[in-house]
Amino acid sequence: MSFDTKMLSTRMPREKIKKSKLTSQGITPYLFVFPSFVGVLLFMLIPAIAVLVISLLHWNLLSSPSFAGLSNYTKVFHDPTALHSMLITVYYVLLNIPLQTVLAIILALLLNRRLPGMAIFRALFVIPWLAMPVAVGVVWQWILQPTGMLDSLLQVLHLPQIDWLGTQHWALPAVAMVNIWQWTGYNMLFFLAGLQGIPAYLYEAAELDGASPIRKFFTITLPLLRPTLLFVLITSVIGSFQVFDTVYVMTQGGPGQATNVYNFYIFQEGFQFFHMGFASALSVILFVVILLVTLLQFAYFRNRTTYDLS
Amino acid sequence: MSHARSAWWVNALIYAVLCVGACISIFPYLISILTSLKPANEVYAGHLFPSHVDFKNYLEVWTSVPFGRYLLNTLFVSVVIVLGQLIFGSLAAYAFARMRFMGRNVLFMIYLSTLMVPNIVTLIPLFILMKDLGWINSYAALIAPTVLSTPVGIFLLRQFFLGIPGDIEEAARIDGAGVVRIFLQIILPLSRPILATLAIITFVTSWNNFLWPLIVTNTDQYKVVSLGIASFQLQYGAEWNELMAAATIALLPLIILFILFQKQIIRSIQLTGLK
Repeated sequence: MSFDTKMLSTRMPREKIKKSKLTSQGITPYLFVFPSFVGVLLFMLIPAIAVLVISLLHWNLLSSPSFAGLSNYTKVFHDPTALHSMLITVYYVLLNIPLQTVLAIILALLLNRRLPGMAIFRALFVIPWLAMPVAVGVVWQWILQPTGMLDSLLQVLHLPQIDWLGTQHWALPAVAMVNIWQWTGYNMLFFLAGLQGIPAYLYEAAELDGASPIRKFFTITLPLLRPTLLFVLITSVIGSFQVFDTVYVMTQGGPGQATNVYNFYIFQEGFQFFHMGFASALSVILFVVILLVTLLQFAYFRNRTTYDLS
Repeated sequence: MSHARSAWWVNALIYAVLCVGACISIFPYLISILTSLKPANEVYAGHLFPSHVDFKNYLEVWTSVPFGRYLLNTLFVSVVIVLGQLIFGSLAAYAFARMRFMGRNVLFMIYLSTLMVPNIVTLIPLFILMKDLGWINSYAALIAPTVLSTPVGIFLLRQFFLGIPGDIEEAARIDGAGVVRIFLQIILPLSRPILATLAIITFVTSWNNFLWPLIVTNTDQYKVVSLGIASFQLQYGAEWNELMAAATIALLPLIILFILFQKQIIRSIQLTGLK
């Protein structure tokens, strides 16, 4: 998950300062904003427009670019590898998100019981978030090796051993598992903060009415966690769509095409074969897909009931 | 919440689940450290612990590739990016939060709109830009795209600045303080928690970054640690004990940072999710 998408769900607060308190300071505001503007313009806005332009070109960086019209896009739509990459990336997102989110909510519920030692557990759960994906990818590769740590454990438990990263069927779930390992504790923190924001009187009222714990969870906790849930889902879905580092060190897209996720395919097309136009078209399509998935989630959550406690 | 009345076995179950979770959380770190201390003939022996502690693998990693150089590069690049984000980010955020100027709202909307574009989308144009600037294999390429601050950082800081009561600045203004002095002597000291948040998250992101360095650098002189691991894996992939030593070197600095600033880091993550 990348840091730069993290604020998507955060709403702008109402401007609380009255206009009179804002003062006109001539050129000063522009001086304050200028460095960041250069950064945004050069490294975000212009590249964002440029990727659209480059996607309309044939360009391998060696010869000069030529206009290709929409042919890169038609090529993507007729490219079985691109379709395969998109499908397994969606599969990867689906392997990740439900499990990771449910685990994060469960851990948050447990930590929220304010028993002694909870701060230590909370800290331990956050540690995977700090791990460099490349380094931890290598470590997991070692753990998942045939005759590796996990296999020894399975052997002790008399369970069948699996060549996790060497089997078409298991390689992608194994990479997804690393991602779940890395992000569950991080997402748990948001749910924990959300839980701590739920007023206790709601639960007390529910208890007076004799509500069961399960009923309390579904009628109080979950609806009130909905803004947090939306935030966590949107950021982690966007992040999962862009998986790269762990795939790069653990499988290089293999075995066969089993873990050739979309980002890895863009990387290969763009930076190993220097098909700049084609890779740009792939990038634009990924942007559209991520945008649609994000909007879908917003729409889904808007239609759900929410409580207004203010 | 009123959980104090839970039965003892409920609490025992909770602790059991949490312990399993905690073990899974730190398991890869332990494996990495333990394997890195094993001599080559014990790697496949199936024992969790090495028969004796042996730092030979670290020495091997350190001498067979310039790992020290990679570490210094990563540290340098990360620190410069953090400083840049703090300085340029807080300047811009303060202007957006507290100053009135023409085009402010339009500009801010433009900044926000860039948040919708995932990193990967702009990767190819950025690479071509770096190539045209002649910055491939340079610190400039590693640092430039994020050092002038990012919209997400500016947004985080702006939200915090908006929450500072305007009266404080008003009082300073009546006392004759100029806008730069108010910013430096009042706003920034009040904003330490959010500046720490931005610093921590930027540092972690930058330390662990892989795809961008992979694209813009390929010589030892400018390689960062993540890249060092990948190339070490390529060369010495079967030497698991040495590979684990390399991974441990990459993982440990942030763990030490976490042990030192644990509460601050946890709060920092939570702050990024606040409305």
